[in-house]
Amino acid sequence: MTYLHLCFYSAFTLSCLGLAFHRTHLISALLCLESMMLSMYVALAMWPIHMQAPSATLLPIIMLTFSACEAGTGLALLVASTRTHGSDLLHNFNLLRC
Amino acid sequence: MMEFVLFLGLCFILGGLAVASNPSPYYGVVGLVVAAVAGCGWLVSLGVSFVSLVLVMVYLGGMLVVFVYSVSLAAEPYPEAWGDWGVVGYAFGMGLVVVVGLVVSGVSGLSVDVGTVNSGGLLSVRTDFSGVAMLYSEGVGLLLIGGWGLLLTLFVVLELVRGLSRGAIRAV
Repeated sequence: MTYLHLCFYSAFTLSCLGLAFHRTHLISALLCLESMMLSMYVALAMWPIHMQAPSATLLPIIMLTFSACEAGTGLALLVASTRTHGSDLLHNFNLLRC
Repeated sequence: MMEFVLFLGLCFILGGLAVASNPSPYYGVVGLVVAAVAGCGWLVSLGVSFVSLVLVMVYLGGMLVVFVYSVSLAAEPYPEAWGDWGVVGYAFGMGLVVVVGLVVSGVSGLSVDVGTVNSGGLLSVRTDFSGVAMLYSEGVGLLLIGGWGLLLTLFVVLELVRGLSRGAIRAV
């Protein structure tokens, strides 16, 4: 594995772990999702460099577009739940708890 | 000077670690900004400066700015800081998981690949510009699908935050 592949791979893994173990706030989980998107963007941008294939440069741009959509939707969920529960603390989201 | 990209890769990992083990969303955003700046420098060092500029303007200047003022919803008067032992434990534990994964998967040595595209930017046809320009010629279907998705997301967001008596998320 090259050093740069290791860099974005471990950044992605750390962000996945942060998403799995998010503790207090909902927005911490959304920030970990954004960090995963960032590492995927850098990974997809490195592919056309190594393969010398210019047409694959399209992939990180398209991924960023849909990542923006997802970030907007996540923040809308955050705002909606803050309006309902008063904060985005995760221990307040207990509707589905049996 | 070719080794600067290795330092930027290290900053990228540290930014990801900072986001994952954030004591408070304020510090998580700082880690994300550091990781984004390191990623931009990394892409510029590899030669694709257009893709790096798109990252700066759209991701750092658009999405992260929106995240920063949404973090104000999570305001708490006494946030934890980096020096608290719980946070250090989380950061150490996550770093340990990555290291153990590397050891178990048998990564014995790291090779460093060198090289940029376009002879350092001196050719008249640039790889990344011409690649993204295909979005308007052969990739017009992707352009339309992306635009349609963005328009749809606008209506989704408006519907989610409408609230009052007919909102999508209610307490009871």
